[in-house]
Amino acid sequence: MILGLQLIAVIFSLIMIYFAYLHFRRNEINGLEILFWFIAWIGAMFMAIFPEIFRAFSARIAISRAFDLAMVGAFILVIPLVYMAYVRTKRLERKLEELIRGEAKRTLKEKAGKKQ
Amino acid sequence: MNGSVVREKSVFIVIPAFNEAKRIGKVLEDVKSISLPVIVVDDGSNDSTFEQIKKHRVIALRHRVNLGKGAAIKTGCEAAFSLGAEAIIMMDSDGQHKAEDLPKFLEKIEGGKVDIVFGSRNMNMGVPLVRFMGNKMASVLISFLFGVYISDLICGYRALTKKAYDVMKLKSSDYGIETEMVVKAAKYKLRYCEIPVETIYYDKFKGVTILDAFGILLNVLKWRIIR
Repeated sequence: MILGLQLIAVIFSLIMIYFAYLHFRRNEINGLEILFWFIAWIGAMFMAIFPEIFRAFSARIAISRAFDLAMVGAFILVIPLVYMAYVRTKRLERKLEELIRGEAKRTLKEKAGKKQ
Repeated sequence: MNGSVVREKSVFIVIPAFNEAKRIGKVLEDVKSISLPVIVVDDGSNDSTFEQIKKHRVIALRHRVNLGKGAAIKTGCEAAFSLGAEAIIMMDSDGQHKAEDLPKFLEKIEGGKVDIVFGSRNMNMGVPLVRFMGNKMASVLISFLFGVYISDLICGYRALTKKAYDVMKLKSSDYGIETEMVVKAAKYKLRYCEIPVETIYYDKFKGVTILDAFGILLNVLKWRIIR
């Protein structure tokens, strides 16, 4: 029998699969990225529906419950993603600043050129 | 001061502006009395700031999108130095800094004994209490971490030479630029002095917010670690 928490996990995973598919259709993520997200969310659903499969594995790595294993897995996934997002945002900020400031300085040169 | 005065150094005034259509005109009228070239950088304002700037005989530059005060200052400084400035004086566009204080900056920066002149606001002149306390605590922290005490860390009324600007290689694009200048002045052992300036607060919702201050604090710690 699927419990309430499992049901929420499955519904959430399905919604996330839909969003991944939506962004894929909009060409915002590529084939490899959607494959990654499909595997991640199907894995999450599988883990939510059949937690006992993971109990043996979690016991072997000294994690007492399958739920704790899921939490550890989620952190391992989320922390690098947040870090990657941070680095990319910083990089974009720098590029944007260079572009905008460069454009402003170019107008100065153009004005100086016209005066000469 | 008038236009016939022969300057020892070529000094430009740099004014970063963001959404100051109401006040920028008065500021530019005031600085006209000093007869120095003025560069105003409109940092992506969404009001008529740029149109107001163009009504005056100043060099008007524009960021297409808002990048932050630091980015506008850097654009203004680099434009001034590319036009032959040997030093610049930066002031805010909201009218809180008085043009009457400009000769004090000129005297110090042209004297050649300092690389940076920090304006220091009279904290009894209507500075909100929270800002006063935050500013003082930050000054003490900087003094503790970098061994340099500047009584008003975030005052935007400053002067610096081209040499100082080139040495500092400023990175901040937001309000952190003022603190970065202090930190780098200490780091590169630049010669500096402080002079008192008058300030009138017109808008208590503008300027450094608590979130900005938190970001600046993190940067200060970063600068200390990667010193």
